Amino acid sequence: MIPLLEISDLVKAFRGVRAVDGASFAVQAGSITGLIGPNGSGKSTAIDCISGFQRADAGRVHLDGTAIDGLPPQRIARAGLTRTFQDVRVYDTYTVLENLLVVAKPFATTNWADAFLRTQKFRETHGQAEARALDLIDLVGLTRLTHAPALILSYGQKKLLAFAAAMMSNPSIVVLDEPVAGVNPTRVNEVAEIVRAANRGGTTFLIIEHNVDFITSLCDHVIVFDRGRKLTEGPPAEVHRDPLVLDAYLGVEPGHEPHLARAG
Amino acid sequence: MTIDLAYVLELVLNGLMLGLLYALIAVGLALIFGVLQIVNFAHGELMMLGSFTMALLLPLFGLSYWPSLAMAVIVTALVGAAFYQFFLSRVEQTEFERSILITLGLSMVLLYGAQYIFSATPRMVDTSWGFEGIEIGAIRMTWTRITGGAVALVAFAALYVLLKWTQLGRAMRAVAQNREAALMVGLKPRVVSRNAVTLAAGLCGLAGGALAPIQLVQPGMGQAVIFKAFALVIIAGLGNIPGAIATSLALGMLESWIGGFYDMVWQEGSVFVIMIVAIILRPEGLFQARGMRVG
Amino acid sequence: MKSGLSGVGAAKVAAVILALAILAVLPLLTSSNYLLGVAVSGLLMTVAAAALNLVYGFAGLLSFAQLGFWGVGAYCSAITVMDAGGSFWAGVLVAAGVNGLLGLAFGYPILRTRTHAFVVATITFALLCNLVARDWISVTRGPLGIPGLPPPRLLGYEIEGSARFFYIVLGYAVLALCFLYVLETSRIGLTLKAIKQNETLAQSQGISPLPYKLAVFTIAAVITGMAGAVFAFHLRVVDPLIFDFYYMQTFLIIVIIGGTGSFWGVVLAGAAMVVLPEALRFSNDLRMVIYGAILVAAMLLMPRGVAGWIEDRRLASLRANLR
Repeated sequence: MIPLLEISDLVKAFRGVRAVDGASFAVQAGSITGLIGPNGSGKSTAIDCISGFQRADAGRVHLDGTAIDGLPPQRIARAGLTRTFQDVRVYDTYTVLENLLVVAKPFATTNWADAFLRTQKFRETHGQAEARALDLIDLVGLTRLTHAPALILSYGQKKLLAFAAAMMSNPSIVVLDEPVAGVNPTRVNEVAEIVRAANRGGTTFLIIEHNVDFITSLCDHVIVFDRGRKLTEGPPAEVHRDPLVLDAYLGVEPGHEPHLARAG
Repeated sequence: MTIDLAYVLELVLNGLMLGLLYALIAVGLALIFGVLQIVNFAHGELMMLGSFTMALLLPLFGLSYWPSLAMAVIVTALVGAAFYQFFLSRVEQTEFERSILITLGLSMVLLYGAQYIFSATPRMVDTSWGFEGIEIGAIRMTWTRITGGAVALVAFAALYVLLKWTQLGRAMRAVAQNREAALMVGLKPRVVSRNAVTLAAGLCGLAGGALAPIQLVQPGMGQAVIFKAFALVIIAGLGNIPGAIATSLALGMLESWIGGFYDMVWQEGSVFVIMIVAIILRPEGLFQARGMRVG
Repeated sequence: MKSGLSGVGAAKVAAVILALAILAVLPLLTSSNYLLGVAVSGLLMTVAAAALNLVYGFAGLLSFAQLGFWGVGAYCSAITVMDAGGSFWAGVLVAAGVNGLLGLAFGYPILRTRTHAFVVATITFALLCNLVARDWISVTRGPLGIPGLPPPRLLGYEIEGSARFFYIVLGYAVLALCFLYVLETSRIGLTLKAIKQNETLAQSQGISPLPYKLAVFTIAAVITGMAGAVFAFHLRVVDPLIFDFYYMQTFLIIVIIGGTGSFWGVVLAGAAMVVLPEALRFSNDLRMVIYGAILVAAMLLMPRGVAGWIEDRRLASLRANLR
């Protein structure tokens, strides 16, 4: 079976320093895959390259068998790979609902003339998009705030809104960049539940996160990054007992449980 | 057609003088951009202010050149300091639109204010030197032009020394290079920025004062020069002071030559075409170079 | 809440109908050519400001190229009528066509630049237009310009007199503003403001910024150019002064005071900024001094304009209610 997302020999250097140094890994369709590693191990640069926000110096990225490397971010998003950002990004002046209705893909069958003239076709499409948006708002539990401007949301609520926006185009895979960093610890399980529910709906996830409990409970597969490439991979329970991994984080002796959240 | 050597030499000297005065404006613009990351739309009006100060003070000082010029520099520099204190200091570096619109508003107040008070009619400015000058063979230069060029040269030498070897100048370069690091070593970016704006305004006053007896003085004179200065500073790369001087000299020379040999047609247009092409070819590079080069 | 909103909507519709009615009977109320002239330039400047609002307020592009399009439009209609023997209407269409092409050709390379580079490049474009008008004497007749533009003709009748010309201007202004209103309230407007707020986020959501920016830049060029084309026939003469920075400053101040990105704010500000100073009899210079001071004050005190300031108050109270 070919993996949904396959990265091979990805390289990205800044002024000669190789942030990503020949990374290869794959994400299986239907999985929730974790991507962990010490700070500065090149995870963020790798997903920037995968999602098109930075141009890799070398290497290929295939989404569902089609090469997407070198495409601009908007083309990659339309091809079915969306992402969230570490510094949570939403449109502050837009309402929660508008934040989702901006997303392009649900309107792919309509053109500018349809939008300008509000044709019958456009209104139908808009109705379907709105229905999907309301479902997603319900999924992330923001229904009460549907018509509130995003400006007034809390940090955690904005992260949930960004998550819903990334789901809006019904992508085949969503890359989440630190979905629970800075989120109230009592709410972390809620986020995990939401991701699980979305995953049951058929969406694949690749998650960068430092919170070990979150990764361990949620992911069925974990990829460990170190110095710009994959160090090892496997089920979460095995991976974080791997001596190589412990070494990469702190050089801790096996047997001493590291708290990876603090390792960065 | 035989080319008269004396005529050519006269064109060169005039071009040099014009270029040096352009350079004073362009250097100030580059300085403010380097330190504050602000494109100062009111820069031309500061020069106009210098010219008007010169024009109004000359009769009071019995037409004597130097005290009037000194006052033009001082008045303009003070206005520059006030600009920073009351307006520019309230703008964050990242708010480029606000900085542009504020300086644009200030330029409107100065330009139309001058037009309201003094009317748009151009005025001739007379000094005690009148049209006296020196003649070497067939070449004739008035004292006002010679002095204008010399004053600009001295100003550049002083600026170079200041930026290269004094604490004041080193601080400006440090802030231009890396604001955060400058903060950490104890520099106060606000003080440094105020100094930079004051210095740049003083250079404008000098250029305006020196230009007053050479050209006609009118409220719109600053606007005509400032857009050329934008072009110069961009072609050189913003924040690049020697580059700004070199391109200014080139422009002064170009204008003088084309004006002397052909009709006025296209001479200025060429500068703007070069500039648009330069921006298109290096859209990111031109404005992203951090720091300030002094040579 | 629901009824309150529709109440606001009804009030808006009523206000628009009232304003249109007043404008429609204005020539009957006054025979003063001066007042009608003020109304004509007010309407055209408001249209140009509304076009700038599309570019700056919606797409976030602080473009000074509008001044170039305004003047090029004026020259296009003047040359079409005086030298090519076309009608006023053909002149306005030529202005639209030329500005559309110019907007595309200049916009495509220049929209890749950002912040200061974009601003300075667009200023340079406007200045270049000015220089071409001054120096390309065989086409533009140089610094003296093209005087003696005849009144427009419609169906063989000469539209002589300020009153009739006023109706042409009113018709164009209403059409252009309606177009902008429909555009800005559509999904396209929503997408534009998304790009303005956060371009990378928009890209991550499948939105390509460049086509939107190019379309908006070109649409604004066409609308501004047509306004300039009509304005030329108000002045009856076109010379390089049509590129005076004064016009750009006026467009800009209308947008800033009205609030960038607010359609109604800009329309109201356009009416206020042109009519008020005339009513108070300021000299042109003093008016521009006041505009400049207002611009500085607005940028320091309420950077998002009057409409933005009201919106901020609304959000603040909303926030207070939720907490």
